[in-house]
Amino acid sequence: MDQPEFRFYKLSFLLPGLLGLLAVILFPLFFTVRVSLSGWSAVSPGLDFDGLANYRALVSDVRFWQSFERLAGMAVGTVLIQYILGFAMALLVWREIRYRRFFRVLFLVPMMTTPVIMSVIWRTILHESLGPANDFLGLFGLGPYPWLTDGSFAMASVMMVEVWQWTPFMFLLLLAGLISLPREPFLAAAIDGAGPVRTFFNVTFPLMAPVSIGAIIIRLIEASKIMDSVYVLTSGGPGTATETAGYYIYIRGLKDFEIGYAAALSVTYLVVMIVLLTVIAKLLVRTFVGRGT
Amino acid sequence: MARIHLEQVGHSYGGGTYALEKADLVFEEGLTYALLGPSGCGKTTMLNIISGLVRPSDGRVLVGGTDMTDVPTVRRNIAQVFQFPVVYRSKTVFENLAFPLRCRGWNTTRLRPRVEEIAELLGMSKRLGQSARNLTADEKQLVSLGRGLVREDVAALLMDEPLTVIDPQMKSDLRRRIKQANARTRHTVVYVTHDQNEAMTFADEVLVMRAGRVVQRGGAQELFENPRDTYVGTFIGSPGMNFMAAERIGGRIGFAGVALLPATAANEVPDAADLRIGIRPEHLAFSNDGEQGIPASVNFVQDQGSFLIVDLTVASQTIKVKVRREVRIPSGPARLSFPAERLRLYADGALLTP
Repeated sequence: MDQPEFRFYKLSFLLPGLLGLLAVILFPLFFTVRVSLSGWSAVSPGLDFDGLANYRALVSDVRFWQSFERLAGMAVGTVLIQYILGFAMALLVWREIRYRRFFRVLFLVPMMTTPVIMSVIWRTILHESLGPANDFLGLFGLGPYPWLTDGSFAMASVMMVEVWQWTPFMFLLLLAGLISLPREPFLAAAIDGAGPVRTFFNVTFPLMAPVSIGAIIIRLIEASKIMDSVYVLTSGGPGTATETAGYYIYIRGLKDFEIGYAAALSVTYLVVMIVLLTVIAKLLVRTFVGRGT
Repeated sequence: MARIHLEQVGHSYGGGTYALEKADLVFEEGLTYALLGPSGCGKTTMLNIISGLVRPSDGRVLVGGTDMTDVPTVRRNIAQVFQFPVVYRSKTVFENLAFPLRCRGWNTTRLRPRVEEIAELLGMSKRLGQSARNLTADEKQLVSLGRGLVREDVAALLMDEPLTVIDPQMKSDLRRRIKQANARTRHTVVYVTHDQNEAMTFADEVLVMRAGRVVQRGGAQELFENPRDTYVGTFIGSPGMNFMAAERIGGRIGFAGVALLPATAANEVPDAADLRIGIRPEHLAFSNDGEQGIPASVNFVQDQGSFLIVDLTVASQTIKVKVRREVRIPSGPARLSFPAERLRLYADGALLTP
């Protein structure tokens, strides 16, 4: 096989993949950047050039930055709760216990359901006057609570649904980590006379640090895109109480049809997210691995 | 410190064949024992039974006369060092050594002198403040050992192939430090290894194991000179003992048509199906010109530095001879001398006492 022919083969094998990549990632990305520099909106559609006007506008867009703060709080809060719950569940079914297989599968069920449908069901459950949640709490003389109509309650509800939906994923990753741990450190701890609590903090937790970091970062990336549950449960309301960055961009772009401005928001969102998550990942590695394993 | 008695102890995992056959074994107080054998012969199982990580399916474990069979590991006062060094990576060397004491409720003022004493013993005083994570493998293994030594209530120290993952250059240094530490603390030590040099140099007594059974126990010299069966003979020594099919020559025992053993020995020989003569490669020598000897032909020579291993054929049987490298090796035909006092006779694999 001579050289040019070989190169042709290489290219022809790579081309479909490259074209796919170009079509679904690179083109939309660069096109969004281009659109963000235009004044494309419902009134003046078209790819004109507006300079950095959109970016100047978004700097002082309080609603956008507030949605960002809210998202950060939600993402960190839910992932932390998911981590603690997931770890606890994984520890529960890690060792030989009765019906271990049954519990392992049971814990995974929420993750296997369709997020939007589950959100609809949760919305029904949490409905203030018609939902079974308030009905049930009423039996004990509690409530009724404004699950989805009060700012703080709505926030808590969205977070609860997120936690319910995604704790199983955390559980799965952490259980896989636990199962792959070596036996010797645990034997050594037993011989040193360590009880279950000491063993957890001195052996299990440090050994699980790498897996923990991986799981937390994967979930943080996912959680920073919270959108479907917000859309279905509260539509960002009441007011803007549960509006996340993704949902706000959706409103500006696809409801108000301010394409140019929404594009600028998206690009900003992307940059902020990349920077934030990189910093968080670095910090996690430094605290866990630097001090821990 | 205590005497450990395994009373009719045996173990089978999941009720199958016995990983460890039922037997009585005693480890005397303050002595060092090595369990030597190939992988899967039950060494680690025996160790785990002593430490309580495995509950034997048969028999009782007596430590200092007390029945400990059902006492959990945590309350057994046994220290164990594993094949892979285990350190608490999030802690400093000091905190690692202090950990077993902290588990027993000691406060810092009380445990500090003890930890410093053990660090001194292991030659790790300068490293106390360091994070255990950054230690080399042999230092980590020393810390593992230190966690066992630091406890004052230790009845026995068990070591499960502690030098396997250590670099060869570090091995002898680590072995020396472990030995020194032991000489000072005088614990009962049970040391598992598949390295015979390690076993021989380390232990007061070596227990050779095979298929869940202790085949022979004794000092290094005893195992070398009087292996109880052909398995021990082959397993101990490098290379192992030579075994030649023996024949009866007019009331005497010999091979290749030459009578080697006197009639007295021959008289005691039962009518065994398989009769063999064993001799160590170190005990064979080339006959000088004019001396008697059995004719042999040299196949090849392995150079091991200070020694040469010569592979010969004698009457269609292969024999190895280990000689110092100064010895002149005849090319082609040679004559071998078999010193009678070094010959051992085996009937169906078992040693016949001369």
